[in-house]
Amino acid sequence: MQSAYPDIPPGLVAHDLTAAAVQLQLDATLYPLQAIYGAAYIFIDRCYVFLDRPRPEQVRVVLTAKGGQADPGALRALVGEFANELLSCAWRHQVTLDNRVLLETVTMQAIAGAMGQPSLDDLASFDFSDQGFDDPLGIALSWEEKHGKKAPATAVTTDTAATEPAAATPGEESAP
Amino acid sequence: MTEASIYIDLRFARDLYAGPAIDEAIKVFARFGEFHLSEAPDAWCLRLRALRPAMTRRLAHELANYALGLTVQRGGAT
Repeated sequence: MQSAYPDIPPGLVAHDLTAAAVQLQLDATLYPLQAIYGAAYIFIDRCYVFLDRPRPEQVRVVLTAKGGQADPGALRALVGEFANELLSCAWRHQVTLDNRVLLETVTMQAIAGAMGQPSLDDLASFDFSDQGFDDPLGIALSWEEKHGKKAPATAVTTDTAATEPAAATPGEESAP
Repeated sequence: MTEASIYIDLRFARDLYAGPAIDEAIKVFARFGEFHLSEAPDAWCLRLRALRPAMTRRLAHELANYALGLTVQRGGAT
């Protein structure tokens, strides 16, 4: 392998014309493994892709032209396109990580909505008593419980009414 | 990837390639060559040669591609 690309920093890319292969050294701290997998998967129909780890913090990607012959320009284009795809995959991976909570929330809501509304039987058999329920405004009360007729007067109420003075009739009003 | 006489040795790093993916790839390509799989602490080592010696290099490349594709489809090496 020898490096022959002046536009690429030395030590990152090397090619082997006899094997029609080009290798790219990647910093594993810059490019997550899932991004490397993503870019490699896209390229396995165009060339042979082999991954290796020469050092713990490094991943080496070897791209070999399928035809068995390639010129330096073709190999340079191949590795350049791979690097672009790798950057795209790394960015998409980062966006996915950033939006993971949002994606999970939306997905859960979509799945819950797809289950449909509960049937009357489901509602009838639902056990509401197993949840702590805080209802300071009385929203959960039925209309009858909240506004219905009061219970009939009890004996105590009757006794109280008997002790109150009878309402005066119009004719019995006293003059000032 | 190293090549000695008619054999090619492949080292699949354990943290990059899934073991079941390599097994599956060997099964798929078994009728095209001869394979000897061994284990190293950090890699699976595969020595192979094709039934037709001229195709050994291509067989190695195709098998490695297949193993990588299966590894990605499985979501990674672990």
